Amino acid sequence: MNSRQRVLAALNRQPVDRTPVCNPTSVATVELMDLVDAPFPDANRKPELMARLAATSYTELGFDTIMPVFSIIQESSALGCKIQWEQKDNWPTVRMREPVYETHEDIRIPPDFLTHPDTHCVLEAIRILKKEYGNEAAIIGKTMGPWSLGYHCFGVEPFLLLSLDDPGQTKLCLDKLKEATIQFGLAQIEAGADALTLPDHATGDLVSGEYYARYLRDLHIEFAERLKVPIILHICGKTVDRMEYIAQTGMAAFHYDSKNEPEESMAIMKGRCALVGNINNPETLFSKGPEVVRAEVRRNLNAGVNLVGPECAIPLQTAIENLKEIPRAVREWHN
Amino acid sequence: MAQLNDISNETIRREIADYLEREDERQRNIDLFAPTQPAMQEIAAALLEGDHKTVDRLTRAALDSGTPALQVMDDGLIAGMGIVGIKFRENFIFVPEVLACARAMKAGMAHIEPILSASGIEKLAKVIMGTVKGDLHDIGKNLCIMMLRGSGFEVIDLGVDTSADKFMTAVEEHSASIVGMSALLTTTMPNMGRTIEAFIDADLRDQVKFMVGGAPVTQEFADEMGADGYGKDALACVAMAKRLAGVAA
Repeated sequence: MNSRQRVLAALNRQPVDRTPVCNPTSVATVELMDLVDAPFPDANRKPELMARLAATSYTELGFDTIMPVFSIIQESSALGCKIQWEQKDNWPTVRMREPVYETHEDIRIPPDFLTHPDTHCVLEAIRILKKEYGNEAAIIGKTMGPWSLGYHCFGVEPFLLLSLDDPGQTKLCLDKLKEATIQFGLAQIEAGADALTLPDHATGDLVSGEYYARYLRDLHIEFAERLKVPIILHICGKTVDRMEYIAQTGMAAFHYDSKNEPEESMAIMKGRCALVGNINNPETLFSKGPEVVRAEVRRNLNAGVNLVGPECAIPLQTAIENLKEIPRAVREWHN
Repeated sequence: MAQLNDISNETIRREIADYLEREDERQRNIDLFAPTQPAMQEIAAALLEGDHKTVDRLTRAALDSGTPALQVMDDGLIAGMGIVGIKFRENFIFVPEVLACARAMKAGMAHIEPILSASGIEKLAKVIMGTVKGDLHDIGKNLCIMMLRGSGFEVIDLGVDTSADKFMTAVEEHSASIVGMSALLTTTMPNMGRTIEAFIDADLRDQVKFMVGGAPVTQEFADEMGADGYGKDALACVAMAKRLAGVAA
């Protein structure tokens, strides 16, 4: 099996020759930026640089996937949010203190949503990657879910308060914002994405599992039906209390955080949804050495986790050696 | 030692019975609420329900009837926020509910603060709070600020993307004794240590205690950067601030 076949088989919970190594969020680091001369912030805005930096996960690190979207702000920029693009050593962020919407009536998906420079950049990068690596590695796109877009467009606190004060309006907001998720997802599939990551940050650090069921489960079922490639749902933080609901959505996989135990998570999923993860970022990949990385990889493999990789977008200052240790440890375990 | 039934307000009794699982916290809250006036318990109960309109009305009424502002704050608002913090820590409630309770607290404090300011009553300590340079995330910091204010601290909020210079200027301007720094991103977490180094370089380090927090921050990381304390959530932040200020928790 080549990397692409391996990843797609694992996402469909079919047999694989070895567990694929995958990061469906981002593997960009400062070291990799220097290696291929594709630094932030330009690598978030210029398709050639975006593609070149993304490819390093396959060419330099030995991962089975390529993910060109390093941040979570591309479509929010196209929706009109103000972005702080930052420098080489930091991710771009939405200025959520300057919200662009106040009510559901303000929500409009602009006609140039897919031709805006920051969404167009992603589509172009996927086309480049598809041409260069499309038969070897799995190209994964990323389209943000409506809950995350709600944080960006309304501001986190106003959006969370709205969800408590006015559930009806909140659902209207999510229903309108979901069109951005669908449009951007479909465009990436057309550009050549083999699978899509769908981050939707209804994390246990902010909201309850019941919230996920009330506001997002049905929408996620709809995404899994309408976006006809494997979808990898990504939610940071504690999520075991909502994994049962996630397992019911038809999503191909769930990218899970190290705050959740691999064994417990696998027991909840019961094979209904693949798990991707969950090597700890700040304490392991960023701060420790290859031995600790190897131990976490082995724990995931022993638990039967379907695709192994970092829990989220890796810290930009992470040492390449720690990242290379992930595929090395996976191969070693399988031998 | 007071008993649960000594508390007149049914909502407060139910909150304590249903959500306070640690025996020491349960008894401390029973002892706290049992001797308080029913009107103060009503304020706390409305706050716990996140009902800012009722808190606003009851606080105004209590002050109009002659109850001292400090008593309304301590027995009504702060006492209520204490239970909110525990429920949040134990995952009985989440951020939306805490935000609603904090909004209710703010509605009550809008009546109380002018009175306390005019009477010159001192706060526990002055705390400078900010999300560090390069980081625009502030929900965790804001929750800490709500709980700190709800516990009697004066908090100066520097917002997000806060440079070391801005922290230093604020400490000098407000004669603050504690600095709280927050970061959500692993890329910005090192800016906490850099801020502490900037205080050392400017010979200001001895003037303040540093407490740090945020999703990727750990006790180990806090120790490495030379912070005086680390809190993993808003309640821990308050406990840490009290320790650093030298007041009883």
